[in-house]
Amino acid sequence: MRRLILIAALAALPAAAATPAECRSMEHRGKQAEATACFGQLARSSDAFARAEGLYGLRQYRDANEAFRQAAATQPKNPDIKVRWGRLLIEPFNKNRADAVALFQEALEIDKTHAGALLGMAMAASDGFENRATKLALEALKADPKLVEAQELVAHLALEDVNPEKAVEEADKAIAMSPEALDAYAIRAAVELLADRPPDTWLGKIQAVNPRYSEGYSLIAHHLVLNRRYEDGIQYYRKAIALDATDWNAHSQLGINLMRLGREGEARKELELAYNNGFKEASTTNTLTLMNSYKNFVTFETPKTIVRLHRKEADLLRPYFEDELKEAIATFEKKYKMVLPAPVQLEVYPDHEDFAVRTMGMPGLGALGVTFGTVVAMDSPSGRKPGSFHWASTLWHELSHVFILSATEHRVPRWFTEGLAVHEETAIHTDWGDRLTPEIIAAVKDKKLLPVAELDRGFIRPAYPAQVIVSYFQGGQICDFIVEKWGFSKILGMVEAFKQRKSTEETFQQVFGIKTEDFDTQFLAFVDKRTAKVVANFDDWRKKLKVLADLAGGRKHDEVLAQGDAIIDMYPDYVEAANAYEFVADSAMEKGDKARAIATLERFAKVGGRNPLALKKLASLYEERGQKKEAAAILEKINWIYPVNDDGLHKQLGELYMGLGQPRKAVREFGALVASKPNDKATAFYNLARAYVGAGNRDQAEEQVLNALEAAPGFRPAQKLLLELNAKKEKR
Amino acid sequence: MRGFRILSAFLLLTPAFAATHYVTVAGIGGEPDYEQRFTNWAKDLDKALKGSGGDVQVHTLFGPEATKAKLSETLGKVAGEASPDDGFVLMLIGHGTFDGQDYKFNLKGPDATAIDLAAWCDRVPAKRQLVVNMTSASGASLAALQRANRGVITATKSGMEKNATAFARYWVEAMRDPGADADKNETVTALEAYQYADKKTVSFFETQKRLATEHAMLEDTGKGDAVRAPSAENGQGQLAGRFALLRIGSTQKAAADPAKQKLLARREQIEGEIDKLKYEKAAMPQQEYRKKLAALLLELARLQEELDK
Repeated sequence: MRRLILIAALAALPAAAATPAECRSMEHRGKQAEATACFGQLARSSDAFARAEGLYGLRQYRDANEAFRQAAATQPKNPDIKVRWGRLLIEPFNKNRADAVALFQEALEIDKTHAGALLGMAMAASDGFENRATKLALEALKADPKLVEAQELVAHLALEDVNPEKAVEEADKAIAMSPEALDAYAIRAAVELLADRPPDTWLGKIQAVNPRYSEGYSLIAHHLVLNRRYEDGIQYYRKAIALDATDWNAHSQLGINLMRLGREGEARKELELAYNNGFKEASTTNTLTLMNSYKNFVTFETPKTIVRLHRKEADLLRPYFEDELKEAIATFEKKYKMVLPAPVQLEVYPDHEDFAVRTMGMPGLGALGVTFGTVVAMDSPSGRKPGSFHWASTLWHELSHVFILSATEHRVPRWFTEGLAVHEETAIHTDWGDRLTPEIIAAVKDKKLLPVAELDRGFIRPAYPAQVIVSYFQGGQICDFIVEKWGFSKILGMVEAFKQRKSTEETFQQVFGIKTEDFDTQFLAFVDKRTAKVVANFDDWRKKLKVLADLAGGRKHDEVLAQGDAIIDMYPDYVEAANAYEFVADSAMEKGDKARAIATLERFAKVGGRNPLALKKLASLYEERGQKKEAAAILEKINWIYPVNDDGLHKQLGELYMGLGQPRKAVREFGALVASKPNDKATAFYNLARAYVGAGNRDQAEEQVLNALEAAPGFRPAQKLLLELNAKKEKR
Repeated sequence: MRGFRILSAFLLLTPAFAATHYVTVAGIGGEPDYEQRFTNWAKDLDKALKGSGGDVQVHTLFGPEATKAKLSETLGKVAGEASPDDGFVLMLIGHGTFDGQDYKFNLKGPDATAIDLAAWCDRVPAKRQLVVNMTSASGASLAALQRANRGVITATKSGMEKNATAFARYWVEAMRDPGADADKNETVTALEAYQYADKKTVSFFETQKRLATEHAMLEDTGKGDAVRAPSAENGQGQLAGRFALLRIGSTQKAAADPAKQKLLARREQIEGEIDKLKYEKAAMPQQEYRKKLAALLLELARLQEELDK
């Protein structure tokens, strides 16, 4: 049958050899049979470039790549070959951005105004959410004002930058250039959908030109996903597949987004379908690899939570993650006056690369955790260096997204959901969340904070390397400011306004009765007040901290103690590596001034210091002074940071809780000690048994004391406990 | 557990005069930080060994004393004093080098090669020997040092692992942490200390998110390759499992009391039954296993109560 169509199509072709542009035009108009015949004709050409174009059109990418290689070898100074070859390499099938960019650059070295090369560069930059994408696309347009693809790309980038008005304006320019600007129609349709208006007019225009244009639907789906409307995105990927069942990119994206929402069965089916049809680019392959690794994970379910942990650390982490998740859900249910429609699925990855697969293709930082509807994926504390990651803070941050996305039906600007999530981290515990970092200080100093109406741009397409971090900070500060000045009820008002599909400008007008410009003025004054001292002192602080570090290295303790506190006061939020707090505390210890060491480390902990070694030092100092409650509270902080690879932490905390008469908490800590698989298993089981005795659970106590003695039959304390338990059992 | 059973038998059979001779050497540090670290570790070992009670002869060389001549002299002295029933332990801390042919332990003045070390140890008549080479590149010393009735522990798997090691720090810790006595028989064996230090070393690199630059190895059959994880399957660890490195309790005292010999014999019998039961664990229902285990452990606990009176 296919052969008959091909023969018929060949008969319809002009006798003269078709050009690649003509073949692509047929394809663009949905004349698939004619296009296939046309590309087939090119593929049989003796000219390597023409052959490459034919094979490219026939989606025989490997052969096309080889033909382009031959063409480039015979015509090394032809920029067109390099550009088309580069375009082949950035196709979703290949996603070889690095080689593609190299080819576009080679073309530009030959002809620096080559519109196709500039467009290729813009496409590659767009793919990586690079800030220069729009600039490059505009340069391409300047080089060739009729380059519709470049104009469409400008519209696409504007919509990615959450500027629908500009996206419409730019898409309309593309449509004016060509009534067959299918991607421009798709952008118009996406704008309508994002505003919850019917997209039918624009979809009709696409269908009128090319009824099989599945890429248009995938483009719409991309924008929906980017705006965290995953369910809607999935529907549009399905529509793309309905139009063209061989659109393997759509199958792959459908699979990835289904997986994001935890629908693994169907996700696997779609991904395998794409993979088995040769669509083996990184996101498909890596996602399938990750799904295969799920056999190494264990899932724990309760009515409101689904926690997935790696088998090697599941026993250890489960109590902490499950309890924290439940507490966060209960707190936010109360705070946001709502109940989630489904249990929260929390996935915790000890291997950062596995977590990275979950965030692939997403803009922004995404470095610690990511939320897809009610599914949260995050790094495990074991995947990070001790002290560099506060997992509990991250969990609350992501949980805030779950609630806000649900409350607004996924219609919320990125700046608001991120800002509120940052605010929630410190709302629960003031020492959680991120500190004022040097990058943020520099941004405040250089007046780089964005107007609130444009803040989304800072998350999606940063203009400078630290802008994403700065934007998180700014979002958080905005929410802090709102709560401080107007109260939390206004935050709830904003959530409601966003749910009603109001824009940021409309929301500020509705909730506060002010324009965003006026809000910006007030907010900047608030930030200046909060940061003025640190910003003013920053350069001086940097110099003085270096001197302090040298003094500490030279063991000049008296001088460290004399200068340290003033340096801390200049920039109290600095608790990262080589901070003044630890220098002062160490020197105080060396001089035998434990009271000073305690006072300094207390400040360190209070302001968010996270080095487990420093916190442990403080706990031990408290313990020495008989302050068991304070010692336990400090060690609990470490549980929120790095509860792994540390038998000593759980042992010490368990003993403290036993001493404080809190055996249930001791059960948790000694349970963690057992789960840490310590060298001294017998003592770990024995301690757990003691805690169970304290908690009144004699059956578990007996179970654990037998475990202790199974490991070490001659372990005297365990033997004594066994005899005691047995004597009481006999009395019963 | 298997180590414990054999150890119990050993304690009953070992003559009362059997001593253990320890020689610890902290090699040259090269920099003040290493110099101080190596010296402190050697001093800590010295203190732990001398404080362990029993008949121990402890020789510790560090600083200006840590020379090839002094080491040779000390080992010569041990060779003259030790009897075949005695135990002998040589522990080397510091930097080691390997030039592709020879391993060298870095000392003040001329270095000692693996061949030198082996020759000096061979002169010691003690039949139970243990060499713990904790230096960088120490894996390269294994071939020269391995011999029947001598366990060899190295901090690195080969001479190519050249970074300063962390293993020594945790080996020293094993001598101070009661947790190293995994089976709670009040004796830290060479195998227990090895497993303790190795686990802590692995954890150190994991926690620091650093590529492990050392992999400790053990060989105690006198032939074949050293292994990372000694087990019944690979046949390694038997000698180390019964080599009492540090005694931390009253086991020896009880063994010397004739009035308690009968109870001790029964204790050993129960321990044997527990071992057998554990061996059969996989082939029986869990409930039945736990019931039998509980009964045996309870009997053992009661017997120990009698012994402790």
